[in-house]
Amino acid sequence: MLDVTAILTTAISSAAIIVVTWLVAHFVGTFLTRILRSGPPLVSAHVRRLTLTFIWIVGILLALEQIGLRIEILLLLIAIIGVAFAIANRETLENIASKYFADFYIPFKVGDSIAVHGYSGKVIEINPISTVLINDNEDLISVPNSLFLREVVVNSTPKAWKKVAIPIMISNDIPLPNFESDIIRSCNKLRHRLDERFPPIMTVKNRGDKTTELTLTLMVKEPETKDAIVSAVTKKVAEVQDQMKKNVHQHSGS
Amino acid sequence: MHSLKEGADFEYSAGGVTRMVLPLLTHMMRNGLVEAADWVCLNPEAPATVRMDGITIHHLNLLRERRVGYGLAKEIIWRVFHGLSPPTEQELLWADDFVDYTFYNRVSAELIRNLDSREDFDLFYIHDFQQLPVGRMLQTLKPKILRWHIPFEESMIPTEWSGFLSTYLDSYDAIVVSCRRYLDSLKSLGHKGASFYVYPYIDQSVYTKPTQQDLNELNSRLGLRNDEKIVLLVARLDPMKGQDAVIKAIPRVLSDVRKVKLVIIGNGSFSGSKRGLGLSKSETWLMELRHLVKSLHIEDNVTFAGYLPQRLLNAAYESCDMSILPSRREGFGLVVVESWLYKKPTVVSTKAGIAELVNDGENGLLIEPDDSAGLAEKISNILTDEKVAHTIGENGFLTSRKCLMDDGLRAEAEVMQELL
Repeated sequence: MLDVTAILTTAISSAAIIVVTWLVAHFVGTFLTRILRSGPPLVSAHVRRLTLTFIWIVGILLALEQIGLRIEILLLLIAIIGVAFAIANRETLENIASKYFADFYIPFKVGDSIAVHGYSGKVIEINPISTVLINDNEDLISVPNSLFLREVVVNSTPKAWKKVAIPIMISNDIPLPNFESDIIRSCNKLRHRLDERFPPIMTVKNRGDKTTELTLTLMVKEPETKDAIVSAVTKKVAEVQDQMKKNVHQHSGS
Repeated sequence: MHSLKEGADFEYSAGGVTRMVLPLLTHMMRNGLVEAADWVCLNPEAPATVRMDGITIHHLNLLRERRVGYGLAKEIIWRVFHGLSPPTEQELLWADDFVDYTFYNRVSAELIRNLDSREDFDLFYIHDFQQLPVGRMLQTLKPKILRWHIPFEESMIPTEWSGFLSTYLDSYDAIVVSCRRYLDSLKSLGHKGASFYVYPYIDQSVYTKPTQQDLNELNSRLGLRNDEKIVLLVARLDPMKGQDAVIKAIPRVLSDVRKVKLVIIGNGSFSGSKRGLGLSKSETWLMELRHLVKSLHIEDNVTFAGYLPQRLLNAAYESCDMSILPSRREGFGLVVVESWLYKKPTVVSTKAGIAELVNDGENGLLIEPDDSAGLAEKISNILTDEKVAHTIGENGFLTSRKCLMDDGLRAEAEVMQELL
């Protein structure tokens, strides 16, 4: 005979753990967004995603333990599958990891002309596994991403060192023309640090249902000021976003 | 939905670009080349959406401060490309006015993007320098053409602007300029993309023979007499148009031809009017011109007609003995073509795009802007030699065919079809 009370208690405990997990994930997510907002947006997004994934895995495992599943076996199973997957896809994972690091530390992007490991050409695609170049003979050259962490890469694009592309993501509630105006006006204050021929320019990269991905492009006057400029502008972007979000909420609340 | 009536609810007083593009669209729709069109432009006074001849016009509005900033930035760009700007105006790219210029373009691009998601356009045709950033902002792979209507001369472009210009120009699949000279400049500046020159064009069906009633109305309105030689100048009231140079030439002409009247037709532009961008340069310029006329004691020989409706403009072309385009710099100069349609001899500034269609002494006379003495001599030549005037007028009429709607439509369709 089923013990209804015990089943109900177990179900409620599991549900409570899921709710607590959701709350923890929400608070940690908000906290991380705040503390990481002056850092590069891509790094913030990745740190946030990894942390939240970890919290949810722990929460789900605890909830499963409540309903009687042996999580030691489950963990072992996950670990074995993980190791097997990693061994089977060692090179692929290496490339993906390299792509992850290359996003931040390798100074080239689609459209640049580069040379690596004896190959040279214009970058036409950077996917998780490889970077595709096209050379003067219109040959397509696929370079594994892992190579970029091991080899010397030469970016011969004119003025490549000048260009700073800052990724920005804004909620679609924020009016883009106003946001763009505020950001450009702020960047104009750094004019003495920027190449006078190229005023700041904002480009829409992608539009989703809820958010829009933008790129703010600046051309710096001196390469050593790049990091400081990125940091100052990223901070300003966060401030403008916060202010505009408040305005939107006030507007919708009034 | 409300029906608006011309004359009662609105006046159709289009500037040069609209006078060309609107007939182009209506002709393309009539010929089946275009099924439907949406037109986006700035007009704070007009209803948000208007349907006219199968075209849906979307009027944008901006807050007054934004509008003024945009207007000032636009004016500086216009001045630079007309060779008028002192070096300090190259600061524009970092000024708040340029932020407003970008703001207006972003608002336009956002509206066009929303319309595109509903209408699924085949092509975007962006007109003139004030909308230059729209092409890049649209973020679409569909074909985008930019028609550059103002002068494009490499020597006028500050080197500091080359980066910003190429960033925006490169975002278009094709660029169309108004004459061969501008195309050479565009290429010389390093533009590698598709580019064309298409002479601007007019819809000749609008330029009909005026009725006697219209001729009488014009004469009585402007106080014209039959024994006077009429010199016509049709241009927006703007220092760039060089009305002052012609006024200065009139006293010299009067020493050769006793009875001459210079009729200046035109008012301010959208930018220059208080109801538009509020730059009020036309009012200031008109005051200066009136003062100049008074100081030269030629009040009886100069008439400011202001804006005239098309039927009276046609009557003015029909009544005049010659016309002048004295601009210090001019994108093209379609008023010369209008004058040619009435077989009137014209004097044309070498700094106008249309000058490359004028063979001096054959289908027109060329002058250097601001050369009032040279201008006076050419005016006198035409007014005193009927045979020369007649020959130049007839040849001009033949040249006008290069700038009529049929040719323009064909050339524009070729550019579009190359991309579609």
